[in-house]
Amino acid sequence: MIGIISYIVFFTTVASILAIAVLGLNLQWGNTGLFNGGVVAFFGAGAYGTLLLGGKPQPDHIAGFELFYPIALVGGMAVAGILAWVVGILTLRMRHDYLAISTFGVAVAFENLMRNAEWLGGGAKGLRGFERPFRDSLGDGFLYNLIFLVVVLLCLLATYRFLETLVSSPFGRLLRAIREDENAARSLGKSPAKIRLTAFVSGSVIMGLAGGLYGTFYAFVSPQDILPTLTFQIWAMLIVGGAGNNKGAVLGAFLIWAAWTFSGWALSRFAPVEAQLYAGSIQYILIGLVIVTMLLWRPQGLLPERLVVSQSGLR
Amino acid sequence: MKKESGRFTLKLGAAICLTLFASNSISYACTTKVGAVLPTSVDWGRPIAETAQFVVEQVNESGGVLGCNVEMILRDTQVDPKVGVDAAKALVDLDGVQLLLGAVSSGVSMPILTSVSVPSNVMQMSCCSSSTAFSKLAEEGQTKGLWYRTFATTGVQAAVGAKVAKDRGFKTVAILYKNDDWGQDLNRLITRDFTALGVKVTSAVAINDGQPSYKAEVANALSGNPDVLYLGLYPNEGTAAVREWLSIGGTQNMIMANSLKSEDFRENVGLKYLGNAFGTDTASPRVASADAFVELYKGHFGKEPSGPGLANSYDATMIALLAMEAAGKGATGDQIAAQVNRVTDAGGTPITADAAGFKAARTILAGGGNVMYQGATGNVRFDKNGDVSAPAVVWKFTEGGTKEIEYLSLTEVDEFIASMN
Repeated sequence: MIGIISYIVFFTTVASILAIAVLGLNLQWGNTGLFNGGVVAFFGAGAYGTLLLGGKPQPDHIAGFELFYPIALVGGMAVAGILAWVVGILTLRMRHDYLAISTFGVAVAFENLMRNAEWLGGGAKGLRGFERPFRDSLGDGFLYNLIFLVVVLLCLLATYRFLETLVSSPFGRLLRAIREDENAARSLGKSPAKIRLTAFVSGSVIMGLAGGLYGTFYAFVSPQDILPTLTFQIWAMLIVGGAGNNKGAVLGAFLIWAAWTFSGWALSRFAPVEAQLYAGSIQYILIGLVIVTMLLWRPQGLLPERLVVSQSGLR
Repeated sequence: MKKESGRFTLKLGAAICLTLFASNSISYACTTKVGAVLPTSVDWGRPIAETAQFVVEQVNESGGVLGCNVEMILRDTQVDPKVGVDAAKALVDLDGVQLLLGAVSSGVSMPILTSVSVPSNVMQMSCCSSSTAFSKLAEEGQTKGLWYRTFATTGVQAAVGAKVAKDRGFKTVAILYKNDDWGQDLNRLITRDFTALGVKVTSAVAINDGQPSYKAEVANALSGNPDVLYLGLYPNEGTAAVREWLSIGGTQNMIMANSLKSEDFRENVGLKYLGNAFGTDTASPRVASADAFVELYKGHFGKEPSGPGLANSYDATMIALLAMEAAGKGATGDQIAAQVNRVTDAGGTPITADAAGFKAARTILAGGGNVMYQGATGNVRFDKNGDVSAPAVVWKFTEGGTKEIEYLSLTEVDEFIASMN
């Protein structure tokens, strides 16, 4: 029984971390219409930033400033934000698929940088030497995971509250105006370029928070954690949950991650031994099927965006 | 959609029925679960998992571990650290396994080790992770002795390269290495080994891929006027760098890593310049047990074991199960891990790597004796970090290809590496 609880705690932690990243993407795509194809770069910047700032000194690279953990986490978010600001200035003049391609390129470049720059993040071997905060007093076991889950849930809740307040504010209305018709927004005296950059950086900082928590949880990050698959997974979560709806984003994250892990578990348990070797491939097919079905049956997502004429209509 | 899901339910039902009816001829009183986290959705990952499953079948044929049927629960990592860690966590928490086999990629094995195996006190045995980061983690005491791997690190190649320099009487060496994780590792290791053997490293220069010219790098390497040049490069960059090296008057004495064992390199540099160039490589062991594995594999799968990591996967699974047998009923991960030395003891009774060998080991271990496992990669022996070494060869280029000029057995390699420390 304790095993099941322990696993549920573990699962919820990972799903909540991913949900934070999906919320970040929702601000960019769902609310502002920015097609970020390089989610993983900002997620990775947060993870590497946190572990570099909070880790122990390593002999062969610059890692390890042993900063107090919350400062390291905020530092990781700042790294993601700075990266997003630079990328944003360079690419946000582009629209839709062009923006997607260029941000995707940034993500691939970021992965390659971390793979090669051994002095920076340990190179292809990954970044070690990070001690999970308060490990000495809490140990490594179930209690630690439970407390960590509470911290992650608080971060998720805070992010959710922040975004809910943001999108129902005049600023949120402005984001949607830019998404729907940029020229119309400009004709009203707004500056779409500035607003787009703000939304892009804010969303990326949130992804950086998710990355920082992810790196903390595993106490390790390597270039293999920041492959394009993660961008795809986060996009799938947002599409299934419902772009433009923060509840949908969280729901999508939990559902897709559950489908991803549960299908693997179910196949390993119920498929015959001979078929188990193909379980991995069957799993890919099942997950693909879920996403395609979803797109055909309910392209707006499980919880679609609620568009209202005025915010008072929400209440 | 309704039809789809109906079909799927049907298939799932059929699958469940199959598992229920496919009972073995031997009836067991109990079942022992072991977990495997391997990239089965990748083409080269599946044979590694098949090989592990093959070992489990043989062990069950011989009577199982401690009289229990071994059930290997296989989970796919998809070469994704998140998915791999989740699978490992589920195996440990939901199925209660005390032994994890896997993973293949170092980037997946590492988070599994640090966030699942060590906190949950479960033994982890990998067939194929090569990163030196594991050795460091073990040296810091963070693996708690729960980590083992049957894949030789770059250390062997580096040690043999240094041995060639010493045997040929070279006093100074310059190093050119490829600027990636492998090259970076190799450079660090071989610099240490050269120094240990009294060969002075005059300079070590990183070579980036795809540059039009390496004049600056090569000139830098030549500035110390070394007796010999060490090349940890791939053929393309190797060819370009060696041509420039020779053109500015560098020595023709060279030592090459196995990556340069290529016809392109020989032809593009020219054999007449390579008369004094020695290559190194790790080799398959030349022992009866390795041949026996090849025969056994061919008999079962109907083809040669030619993919990467198959022999390593075979040994990893067999040794782990032997350790479970040695640890006794209800043993926890650390207790199993502590028994690995008992089943790979150089002074123990030799046993073969098959069902008969496992049977023999069972009797000896029950009587309190130790066994020496003779496996697909030879007489596997782990050092204190859970690492293994491998036999090695020294080779030279010839008209028709390459020729082996020296073979170092596993014991010789081990002794040589030990002599340097």
